[in-house]
Amino acid sequence: MKMRLSAALLLLLVLGATLVLRVTPFDYAFQDRDAIMAPATALHSTGTDELGRDRTVRVAAALLIGLAGATAAAAITTTIAACFGLLAAFSPPSIAAMLMFLSDVFLSLPWFFLLMMARSLLPLTASPLVTAMVTFLVLAALGWPACARAIYRDATALRSAEWMIQGHACGLKTRQLIRLHLVPHLRPLLLPQFLICVPAFIVAEANLGALGLGVGEPMPSWGAMLLELDNSALLARSFWVYLPIALLVVVLLILESFTAEVETYG
Amino acid sequence: MPVQVNSIRTRAGAGRLPVVIALRVGRTLLLILCAAAGTILLVRFAPGFFSDSREMDARYAQAARTEIQSENSPQESIVQVVCREFGSWIKGDFGESRQYHVPVADLIGARLQVSALLLVQGILLGWLLALCAALPVSGLRKGGYLWGAPFTLLLAIPTAAMATACILANAGGPILVLSLLITAREFKFLRSLLADAWRAPHLLQGRAQGLSLHALVRLHIFPNIVPQLCALTTLSIVTALGALVPIEAIFTVPGVGQLAWSAVINRDLPVLVAISLLMAFVVGLAGMLATRTLALEAV
Repeated sequence: MKMRLSAALLLLLVLGATLVLRVTPFDYAFQDRDAIMAPATALHSTGTDELGRDRTVRVAAALLIGLAGATAAAAITTTIAACFGLLAAFSPPSIAAMLMFLSDVFLSLPWFFLLMMARSLLPLTASPLVTAMVTFLVLAALGWPACARAIYRDATALRSAEWMIQGHACGLKTRQLIRLHLVPHLRPLLLPQFLICVPAFIVAEANLGALGLGVGEPMPSWGAMLLELDNSALLARSFWVYLPIALLVVVLLILESFTAEVETYG
Repeated sequence: MPVQVNSIRTRAGAGRLPVVIALRVGRTLLLILCAAAGTILLVRFAPGFFSDSREMDARYAQAARTEIQSENSPQESIVQVVCREFGSWIKGDFGESRQYHVPVADLIGARLQVSALLLVQGILLGWLLALCAALPVSGLRKGGYLWGAPFTLLLAIPTAAMATACILANAGGPILVLSLLITAREFKFLRSLLADAWRAPHLLQGRAQGLSLHALVRLHIFPNIVPQLCALTTLSIVTALGALVPIEAIFTVPGVGQLAWSAVINRDLPVLVAISLLMAFVVGLAGMLATRTLALEAV
């Protein structure tokens, strides 16, 4: 019940954001020079930022970009983790130990620090779209080690299961065993891992953006919108400045609740 | 008979103990070296690392920009860079900062105390809050979700937003933000750990025999969850180290996190590599201690 409610709320938010982008005549980068830091008006329902850009449109775009980017990054990271974990589980012990050591090297540095470092190494002249793609790709590329360890542990346990031995004895190849038997058994682990990554990546992008290392302007992102909170002149004019952070918290709560339900009830 | 078996195991375990410790220390050192080498590799092959903000400054003529570009372009191969860096570290030389033009060791040394103090205070306060909240909630049969709601809400707030909110409200500071983050992260784990401990058969018997709550917690619950708590402490240290960067950058705390952020923004290679080494060392040490506790339990 809770799971359905969370999914419905999330879908509603996505549909709402899409509708806003369709209906509103402005682009997220459009600057209304006559309405800089404007409060809520008939034209700009939640006001504008310091460059006169419509806040509703930017929040809607940030929601869609954040969700799409984080979901894609979570899918990539879960795939990498699954491949890495399965490769280690079906390799000779020495190679498995080396692969797990490699994942430990990644885990030996705090994730956010590693992320920040990797993100900062981009060329200074990268376009907003490139920065957005690279930010989420970096998240995907660095998020897999912990997940890979969990998959390795479970895959190693499943490898010696009786039905796997029987599959082997029946002449199934390792690839077939993995595809037909192991992956379906690992699904209860892979799905929560994927779902955990989505809010984690959204939070990471927001933190990166707040430090000026996230998605480049003028493309809207949660992180860039958090930077608005530093502008005291803007804060004094309109309480709508808090809309992005409020919506971000709501989205994260929905995602976390959905993940918790999936973890509990599969 | 069980006493004899135990004593044999203990003697055999005592013989293995130095080997276990040596292996663990060796692995941790190797991990730190690999993390440092990985950082150098990452930096060397990054497309934008050798770019300079002056290259985009319109005041510089094209010829000057080309000269800046050639000055910054990598002159050495990756093997040379790694060998040179490792050689310098052995001599205790961590290079010179590209942005501040002072030795990196001096730069980090001056900020280490600030960050260490913040980390210790934040983690201790966070654990205290998490334990105080998790201990009573873990014993509840109903309403656990309700009590856990504030912590779920805290988890949904990015660290940077929490820090900004503190500044806007003119209340709290870096320690509060760090401790709230630690509390939110650890509460969930502690609650489930303690809930499992409460359900253990020996604890039920203890309760049936009329042992006080204080005695149950002190004598039965905590001794049984110490290894897991050590592992959780490692997790807390990693979480806190990661959160150090946004917290110190937003609150302008002159610590290692702020230095890391500034090094990232200004592409200061020697500082970044030295901080990576330091972070890998702290995480490796914490991990080693936690795993050692678990290994000793097994021995």
